[in-house]
Amino acid sequence: MYAIEALSLSKRFGNIQALSGVDFAVNEGETFGFLGPNGAGKTTTIRILTGISAPTEGTARIFGRDIVRDTIAARRQMGIVHETSNIYTDLSAWQNLMFTAELYNVSRKDREKRGSDLLELFGLSERRDDKTNGFSKGMKRRLTLAMGLINHPRLLFLDEPTSGLDVQSNLIIRDVIRELNKTGVTVFLTTHNIEEANLACDRVAIINRGHIAATDSPERLKHTIRSVQSIEVAFEPVSLVRVDDLEQIPRVSEVRKQGDKFRLITEDPPGVLDGVMEYAKDHHIRVISVKTLGPSLEDVFIRLTGLDIRTKGVKTVD
Amino acid sequence: MTDLEDQCGQVCTELHAAWAIAKKDIRIYYLKPNIIVSGMLFPLFMFLAFAVGRPADPTVMIPGLIAITILFSASSIEPVSIPIERRMKTFDRLLSAPISLHTVVLGESMSGFLYSLGIAFVPLIAGILLFQTQVIGIAPLVAGLLLTSFCFATMGTLFAAYPTESPGDIMSMLNLVRLPLIFVSGIFIPLDQIPQIGHFITYLSPLTYGNDLIHAAFAGDPHFNPIVDIVMLLFFILVFQLVANHLYKKFNE
Repeated sequence: MYAIEALSLSKRFGNIQALSGVDFAVNEGETFGFLGPNGAGKTTTIRILTGISAPTEGTARIFGRDIVRDTIAARRQMGIVHETSNIYTDLSAWQNLMFTAELYNVSRKDREKRGSDLLELFGLSERRDDKTNGFSKGMKRRLTLAMGLINHPRLLFLDEPTSGLDVQSNLIIRDVIRELNKTGVTVFLTTHNIEEANLACDRVAIINRGHIAATDSPERLKHTIRSVQSIEVAFEPVSLVRVDDLEQIPRVSEVRKQGDKFRLITEDPPGVLDGVMEYAKDHHIRVISVKTLGPSLEDVFIRLTGLDIRTKGVKTVD
Repeated sequence: MTDLEDQCGQVCTELHAAWAIAKKDIRIYYLKPNIIVSGMLFPLFMFLAFAVGRPADPTVMIPGLIAITILFSASSIEPVSIPIERRMKTFDRLLSAPISLHTVVLGESMSGFLYSLGIAFVPLIAGILLFQTQVIGIAPLVAGLLLTSFCFATMGTLFAAYPTESPGDIMSMLNLVRLPLIFVSGIFIPLDQIPQIGHFITYLSPLTYGNDLIHAAFAGDPHFNPIVDIVMLLFFILVFQLVANHLYKKFNE
């Protein structure tokens, strides 16, 4: 049985077709990434899968339960961590947890034990009885995740769990996701952080303009665009290097400035390397490091969504 | 487990969740300044503005004051709490919990119901102690307090379905309904003295039946049979609950 089955999901808001025939399945115990640019249909899909919104066409099942016809039974299997840390700031951390537990019909004994364990796990025990309006962003996020786990869910929806967080909160949350996965909890993760999806997910689906563009493991997706290879070069002094000049090197299809390094996208890394050395010699610049790279999940994302993410913003290339 | 036991278990679960929602609202909103102003002070000043200086029998004015107090206090919690929770995204927690929308509406209404019951005791006790009014019918008083409170709490939840993040938007719409209600429901003008043409509007007002029931507890001469009052209040509660459920579903698509 699948943890999630989305079968030809479509959603229309007036004249806007937000989703068109979205199909995918998530296996039990899998960490599944759901990626897509803003407005691609990620939130609409999550709202349908969690039973907040009904699809215009198609069906979705959570552990075999139809989310429209058997909403309550389906929701009992899941924990939801929304994109915003939606906690009650006039209540304490403990009251927030206990309220959520009561909504999910967790027995008093179980919710008190589970609540204490989760506060300990997320490093919030010492602030248990403090009102949460004084909590930092990271603490609020950790509490939101604890609230999503209070009912021992078999499936956890995580919407941008680590976006904009401090290092400590990031590490705690990533560690918890890893541990959850080991215990067999299915994780449905939406994130803008493609590297996070690459590291955490067994499989990812990329959604664009309401359609699923691809569903596969990160590694297999990268293999589909082997032609997108690159070399990463660091120069000294970097101030003398111009992106426009590097783009003139033969067989370079694109140049991205990444911090103090330049990434030259090409189908022929050895050939481009010669060109780079020649450019450096002509301009009296030293090459201090060179690295050959395969395609990243971000390259796959860019290729499939038709977006070109540059340092100056985002532009459509097709 | 039989289907019946299964269904009973589900009902208990839903009632428990409704009570959890009500407790949450009690903790967070009862002492918010805008709730105190609109739920306690507003009805008192409304009453003073229209009742002071008029030669009226306390057995008529005290039930009226209780009815106005219930109208304003019961319908004041959700129009404030729900838009705030929409803004904070905490309302999504209720919408995505494993409970029905009816339970969300019930739980939200319960906090307004309990709030107004508590507040209604202030004019009730003040009437007895300061104006020597006597309660001659406990049953209509209890039925009147409970049903009127629940009816207007559900009405408040219904108005709060309007998809806004600003309490002011809902309060403005709500006052468009609440303020006329106090003039057409027999509080300041006895129902017998309302012109025939105005009776149609009077009969459409749930406050008419609530006020009549509370009035019966003090004066013993209701305009309608108390059974009619009770049935009409139950009817309004049902309609408000169903419409609220429909609107929350529609607006959250």
